Amino acid sequence: MPFFTEVSVDQILFALLNGTIYGLLLFMVSAGLTLIFGMMGVLNFAHASFYMLGAYFAYTLEPLTGFWMAIILAPILVAGIGILVERFILRHVHEHGHAHELLVTFGLAVVIAEIIKMVYGKFAVDYRVPVELNFAAFSLSGIDYPFYRLLMGGIAIVMFVAIYALLTKTRVGIVVRSAIYRPQMVEALGHNVPVVFMGVFGIGAALAGLAGAVAGAFYTTNPNMALELGVMVFVVVVVGGLGSMGGAMAASLLIGITNSLAVGSDFRIADLMAFVGMGGWADDIGGLLTMRMSSLAATLPFFIMLLVLVLRPSGLMGEKE
Amino acid sequence: MALVLGAATAAQAEPLKLALVETLSGPQASTGLLYRDAVKYQIGKINEAGGFGGAPIELLEYDNQGGPVGAADRVRAAISDGADVILQGSSSAVAGQVTEDVRKHNLRNPGDEVLYINLGSEAMELTGAKCHYYHFRTSPNAAIRVNTLLDGMSEAGVLGDKVYAMNQNYSWGIDVQDNTAAAADRLGFEMVEKTLHDVNKIQDFSPYVQRVQAAGADTVITGNWSNDLLLLMKAAGSAGLDVRFGTAFLDQPGNIGNAGAVAEGHFLSASFNPEVNPEKTDAFMEDYKSVTGHYPSYVEPTAVFGMMLLQGALKQVEPTEDGLNASDLAAALENASVETPMGTLSMRGADHQAILPMIVQEVSRNAKHKSDGTEFGFVPVKVISAADAEQPVQDSCQMKRPG
Repeated sequence: MPFFTEVSVDQILFALLNGTIYGLLLFMVSAGLTLIFGMMGVLNFAHASFYMLGAYFAYTLEPLTGFWMAIILAPILVAGIGILVERFILRHVHEHGHAHELLVTFGLAVVIAEIIKMVYGKFAVDYRVPVELNFAAFSLSGIDYPFYRLLMGGIAIVMFVAIYALLTKTRVGIVVRSAIYRPQMVEALGHNVPVVFMGVFGIGAALAGLAGAVAGAFYTTNPNMALELGVMVFVVVVVGGLGSMGGAMAASLLIGITNSLAVGSDFRIADLMAFVGMGGWADDIGGLLTMRMSSLAATLPFFIMLLVLVLRPSGLMGEKE
Repeated sequence: MALVLGAATAAQAEPLKLALVETLSGPQASTGLLYRDAVKYQIGKINEAGGFGGAPIELLEYDNQGGPVGAADRVRAAISDGADVILQGSSSAVAGQVTEDVRKHNLRNPGDEVLYINLGSEAMELTGAKCHYYHFRTSPNAAIRVNTLLDGMSEAGVLGDKVYAMNQNYSWGIDVQDNTAAAADRLGFEMVEKTLHDVNKIQDFSPYVQRVQAAGADTVITGNWSNDLLLLMKAAGSAGLDVRFGTAFLDQPGNIGNAGAVAEGHFLSASFNPEVNPEKTDAFMEDYKSVTGHYPSYVEPTAVFGMMLLQGALKQVEPTEDGLNASDLAAALENASVETPMGTLSMRGADHQAILPMIVQEVSRNAKHKSDGTEFGFVPVKVISAADAEQPVQDSCQMKRPG
């Protein structure tokens, strides 16, 4: 039995590219989550709901404004909602501690999902990639690579660079970063810290909204999309280290690529044991030992999270507190 | 005291209580709510025709929250609320739990049995290893779905030589995979590869599409439903992959609207198509719409037909003092048959699997009834009669009959 099934270079190339782009999408959503956590210490359960809102807003706006305007306007609307949430809900419960904030955002996620179901119905809506963007970027051994995927990846990279530059190279970034560590000091220097927090929350929500507006057209826009991506986004943020932007990027790519490679692999633990002459025994035992890697692919991120939490509880790039 | 009261009111027996144990909230609620619409519609019809034993039938609703754990709890509640019949349909995982709970309840409470009418959970084990006298499946099963689908596609000349089986990793998906593999010799195709993947967890199907491409498949046979079907199909479409999909649940609302032209030419085997027998079907469609507000689609027609079968069986049963004797109803259901707009639906006594006509259909612009407001709909390619669609009783079904 071959240790690895025969795969061509093209296939591995595709798997890497697929994984990278999926990872970049995960990053787009988790960037806002990790930003908000880093600053306010709030793990925002409703964050993936902003992703969903972005998709539905873009779907609603597209017939009126066209696709490009829709994906620009949708995140702005989501940012507005994010700001309202911070100003009128989170700020009120802030004094009661983190547990309350957590519960409020959890409730918010449920409420948003139900409102979406009431307004748009229970099933997927027909938000699709516009025809003029729906073409193959290139073709490798008979399989097309959709241009739109590259576009999604490109938008994520531009976003990463922009946030990174904003936080490290500008005055606003300096104020934001210092507000994270020494809010009282920053306030004493005459900066309005609550407004800074509100702004960052809004930007975090907008990033998720942008991801939703772009990815909703490629995947599906349905009332469950927050739930589907939400879990993965938490895994990314935990693996990357809560509050670390670079960590979120690294973890997103790690999860995207391992997932993509695992799907293409028929590797079984029994094959590994065959090297020490125990292959037959493992085949007889069956169960987990003969499970193909490909059918475990969606479980791998959770395994990675477990591993990271055991070996390095603060995450790949998180700072020890 | 209770005895005296019971005797005094024997003329107007307790109303028959049907308990719908479905997923009514959470991510998978959309299908559960369709079952509710269908069941309510047909119970309305039964009650218009006089109900059962002179009283209208009562429908109790229980939310199983999408999982076997919730279902076990809700089944207990339904039985203690006096339900005579449990109705469920939207998940084989849940059905596996419900059927076991009903079986155990009936073992422990002889004389006070409860029936389980399975309106749409299609895993083979439910009429196989887990079959029992009080479970009735009124929908097709995995063997019927897959074999009619493959036969229809093969006859239409679109099956191709290389078939890939892509399925969700649980009882239903595994059944679809096994039945696809079993038909390979009969229909002369090669099953190039099979994949089982996690259920409704995957966002990005492009790695799976890449595997299909690498295997050189002409056709993908999949039992996937909901997002797992939609995302797989869209990923294949955007990769420019030239494969045809043979599916069991492509008619779920939203699928055609979301996939658009990507769905064109893909196949479905289902127990309903709006273009078959229009003289009866049109009336059914319009009446259903006037009651529920929408045309019947996806699981709804089959659920309605299942309830029609129950209605027919109820006519054969005499109400008793405390309402209904479940064993009488089970005996009547065993040999029940009913005329639906699609043809004859009948119950097979040996394993309590419904025998019903199946329609192999293709997504096309020529459909008379369009789906989701698109230009596409399902055109019948071949109507397979109940007799031809029938699949043998599984050896694993060892049904113990009362008495």
